[in-house]
Amino acid sequence: MPGPTLFFSTLMGDEAKSIARGLQKRDPDLLDRLIEQYQYRLFRYLVYVTGNRERAEDFFQETWIRVLERGHQYDGKSKFEAWLFAIARHLVIDWQRSKKAQSLDTLTDPEQEHPLQLANETDPSPLHQVLSQETQENVQASLQKIPAIYREILVLRFQEELQIDEMAGVLSVPLSTVKSRLYRGLEALRGALQGSAVL
Amino acid sequence: MSESVHDRALQLIAQGRVEGIAEVDGAWLRAHLEECEFCAAHARQTDRALRSLRTAVIPLPDGLASRTQFRVRLRAQELREREPKRRALWVACAVSWVFGVASAPYVWSLFQWLGQRTGVPKLVWEAGFGLWWSIPALFAVAVLLMESSRKGEQTDWINQGS
Repeated sequence: MPGPTLFFSTLMGDEAKSIARGLQKRDPDLLDRLIEQYQYRLFRYLVYVTGNRERAEDFFQETWIRVLERGHQYDGKSKFEAWLFAIARHLVIDWQRSKKAQSLDTLTDPEQEHPLQLANETDPSPLHQVLSQETQENVQASLQKIPAIYREILVLRFQEELQIDEMAGVLSVPLSTVKSRLYRGLEALRGALQGSAVL
Repeated sequence: MSESVHDRALQLIAQGRVEGIAEVDGAWLRAHLEECEFCAAHARQTDRALRSLRTAVIPLPDGLASRTQFRVRLRAQELREREPKRRALWVACAVSWVFGVASAPYVWSLFQWLGQRTGVPKLVWEAGFGLWWSIPALFAVAVLLMESSRKGEQTDWINQGS
């Protein structure tokens, strides 16, 4: 008798395959359901990556338009959310490239001079406006201190609970890079929260 | 207690949260945390940091999903309207290629006959035949390739996510 892990992975595989079939046909009801189902997760991810609520809204809508247009390219072999986040991420990077005319490597490598930092750190805390609950003010203020590239990876791992190989797919980087960013991000988060006396 | 023992403990604390650790390492870490307040505090801070991240709430804008659904449906309608034109382009190209291949022997004979009648060198009417037959086909190929490359511009990066 198959174990529960196999059962759930088969169930998820069936779900992904059924999404892939629906996207092939551009099934409007399926798209409506997916938008409802993933709205919070996608919007949260975009807010963390862009650091700006209005921009996140624009990218949210653009992402779903792309899902409609390129849905036939999703084969159902991976989790739908990983594919969805990859689309959203590349839209953000494309926009950033067109604005700054920098190379993708420069944008995404935190060791370079210009890491992925869509939110201007000198502006009056756009992320803070989004994450405005009083009880969480310190936490959110601390999150702003972390470079976007680490915020993103922490969100994917600890909020979205993607596996490391899935994150490598979303970010288009090797597993070793994902791991090193996770370790650095975790340390940066701990340090930032400790610094603001949340911990 | 030596520095390296604490270093190992801190490394295992992070590794446990990021990718998991072996049971034997976990047992060692638990024993170490029971007797080392510094590393235990580090582990607690790490867990609290992750809890804070997990419980962070981002309010959704009003009507975001419904606005998006509306836009997506409009775009879907546009794509559906455009689909027959694209299909017609492919059908036209296919028909012209089939017709071109089928008629090639007759056109060749025609060029040959014209060449003999007008007395132009063989190489000239052969080149004429080549151009007559290949230019429309190359033009159609170019149109289709342009269409495909426009469609495929984002294909690579989208596939990276799957």
